[in-house]
Amino acid sequence: MRFDFTPEEKDFKRQLSSFLDDVLPADWHGPADESRDDHWELNQDIKKGLAQRGWLVMSWPKEYGGSDSSPMMNTIFAEEMAYRRAPGHDRFGTRMFGPTLLRFGTEEQRKKHLGSIARGEIQWCQGYSEPNSGSDLASLQTRAVADGDTFVITGAKIWTSLAHRADMMFMLVRTDPEAAPHKGISLILVDMKSPGVEVLPIVNMAGVHSFNQVVFDNVRVPKSNLVGDLNDGWRAGMTVLNFERSGIDYAAWARAALEEMVDYVKSDEALVTSAKTDPTVRIKLAELHMEVEAARLMCYDVSYRQGKGEIPSSEASMSKVAASEVYLKVLDYGVEILGMYGVLEPGSKQAELQGRFFKMRLFYTSGPILAGTNEIQKNIIAQRGLGLPRK
Amino acid sequence: MDFGLTETQELIRASAREFLQDRSKSDIVRAVAEGDNEAITSLWNDIVDLGWPSLTISEEHGGAGLSFSDLAVLLEELGASLAPTPLVESSISSWVIDRFAPDSLKSDLLPQIANGDILFTPAIVEQDASWDPESVKVAATRSGSTLVATGEKRFVAFAEQATHALTLVRINNEEPALVAIPIWKADGVEQTPVAHASGVPVSSLTFNELEVPAGNIIATGNKAIKAVEELTAAGGVARAAQLAGLGRAVVDATVEYTANREQFGRPVGTFQAVQHHLAEMAIAAKQVNHLAHSAAWSFSQEGYSVVAAAQAKIAASDKIAELCWTAHQCHGAIGFTWQHDLHLYTRRALAWKTDYGDSAFHKSKLANAMGL
Ligand SMILES: Cc1cc2nc3c(=O)[nH]c(=O)nc-3n(C[C@H](O)[C@H](O)[C@H](O)COP(=O)(O)OP(=O)(O)OC[C@H]3O[C@@H](n4cnc5c(N)ncnc54)[C@H](O)[C@@H]3O)c2cc1C
Repeated sequence: MRFDFTPEEKDFKRQLSSFLDDVLPADWHGPADESRDDHWELNQDIKKGLAQRGWLVMSWPKEYGGSDSSPMMNTIFAEEMAYRRAPGHDRFGTRMFGPTLLRFGTEEQRKKHLGSIARGEIQWCQGYSEPNSGSDLASLQTRAVADGDTFVITGAKIWTSLAHRADMMFMLVRTDPEAAPHKGISLILVDMKSPGVEVLPIVNMAGVHSFNQVVFDNVRVPKSNLVGDLNDGWRAGMTVLNFERSGIDYAAWARAALEEMVDYVKSDEALVTSAKTDPTVRIKLAELHMEVEAARLMCYDVSYRQGKGEIPSSEASMSKVAASEVYLKVLDYGVEILGMYGVLEPGSKQAELQGRFFKMRLFYTSGPILAGTNEIQKNIIAQRGLGLPRK
Repeated sequence: MDFGLTETQELIRASAREFLQDRSKSDIVRAVAEGDNEAITSLWNDIVDLGWPSLTISEEHGGAGLSFSDLAVLLEELGASLAPTPLVESSISSWVIDRFAPDSLKSDLLPQIANGDILFTPAIVEQDASWDPESVKVAATRSGSTLVATGEKRFVAFAEQATHALTLVRINNEEPALVAIPIWKADGVEQTPVAHASGVPVSSLTFNELEVPAGNIIATGNKAIKAVEELTAAGGVARAAQLAGLGRAVVDATVEYTANREQFGRPVGTFQAVQHHLAEMAIAAKQVNHLAHSAAWSFSQEGYSVVAAAQAKIAASDKIAELCWTAHQCHGAIGFTWQHDLHLYTRRALAWKTDYGDSAFHKSKLANAMGL
């Protein structure tokens, strides 16, 4: 039992933090708005800076640009980036696709793609969900048909984050419509500039364009872009996602938001004076403080177990549920504390804290939905973690 | 970060499980709740033989010199088995004596606690049920080398078994003082038992011009306040560790029950509504466990973390009580019966929730620490 970081971990955190002091604009409050070109440029700059320092893919093997470091270092990295609401953290390439390729790709594929991810050059996106296949992902219908040296892809993906910024997509396609749902799926890589790929923007409830529908009309992809065996894409597509799931981003965002609220309550400039005079406020903030720490420790536990070589899927699901829910509790309370100012949209005159809390509350409604809904996570906890029967 | 147990801790856990499986069965827990004091004595004697009261006492004073984390691992098992025994009361008393008492008193008391000759229980709270040391009223007047104490302490656990009460008094209407008061068959001490949900003996102690040697003073003034704050924090973390174990036991029992109870031709544990209840219970139990460990660990560092201790007790108080109520829902009517053991856990969780500062008390402490 030890509830502290090693000197090496602390040192890394300090270095990362001072790097962010340098690269983030002085008045930066985040989060980055993926609709805005200036924010995207900042994202790219920071990503390159992180790459130069070798921090983007620390847990990868040395030969692919990493430094073989522990999952805990990755968690510290993700936590600090999220805590600062800093852009530049490429979760698709570094956290999802890279590890998938390390495990299931050919040597040629690894050589081709991992370096550019490690250097922060290529943006990936994830094409899994479809209009009719969300939680029941194995029902996906986008087809890939073999034709000579190529696959021809037809269908549509939806909710594809960053498709409008991405160079490449890793996607799940149906390659055998006759087989059982899980057995006819393959994992394949698509250049977003291929003829027949069309990206249709979708604006979310917070008014931000961060995800898209992507339509594929007879898109030709070389057969060498298949990852893993034909019709074995389900395993390749899911394994590493399970391994990578964690709530650390939410726990860190929650901590940052809570600290912002505490500062607001203490500040002399707060317009809503009841925040200071109402004695229930401090009690509620203390309760949230405990909840944030509880969620955070769950995330550290996941990395601790990963570091020991376990695949803690139930614990990872627990951390995602706990952290995404506590984050919303914090944001809800932030909006509540601001009273009538709480519902002013960002950019509005008279908005307190620049209307940030309202916008974040809307934006992070997505937390319990994305990357496997919290209901699906609870199924995993009950069945895989607690061993309850499925039928 | 290391969430694993040390070899010593694994050993403690395994031997505690083995011992308690037998010695803290539900018929014993129930017998104690119904007033069987001999069962308490016999269990405590075995626990003394195992050396548990000496666990965190330094070797210099006849203890095992282990850490608060080690104690927490043991307390989890006590919580999981609802063991009706004053180990928390004894351990946190010796912890505070070790940290605050003058050397002579330490070398007198600690070896006797370690070998079970004496048993301490904290007597802090009074009529207003407050754990705030500043609110102490029980009066002691000092005349020469004697203190004369008058007043009532409430909610003293295992007062019937204890030889000493670690008592907070106010000397000459001014200075607070923490005093080791011998209460075993003492003239001038009256015990009034209350019927407490914890299922163990709880009483108030009324001191009637009780004479205590001034040499029994552990700390006075600010130091006494600090000692009681640390006692409350340590007690809260100890209860949190017990509640973590209790929560885990209730999750296990509820999984077992719902995986076997059939309705509509299938185990009720296959229904998603039930699975999601259980998933949430499992999350709560894990969180309390982590927070209790983190806080216990802080006691083995310089000082202890006020923040972590408060977080642990808040989470344990609120989350485990809620977990128990959800377990009742998952059990249906059977869990609503007197005969079923589930209410033993629920009662204990509700009682422990109020011990060593309830959730509101610790939220206020935490808010202070947050600068609010
Ligand atoms: C902001 C955001 C970004 C996203 N980015 C991407 C991306 O980049 N790439 C990508 O592929 N996808 C992405 N997604 C899609 C995401 O993975 C899906 O939204 C998610 O898997 C849920 O699918 P669905 O929205 O179709 O909901 P549905 O599956 O239709 O679910 C609707 C409701 O039913 C519940 N439900 C469904 N099945 C069960 C069950 N078995 N048990 C209990 N409850 C159930 C769900 O929990 C939910 O409450 C993103 C989503 C969001 C919100």
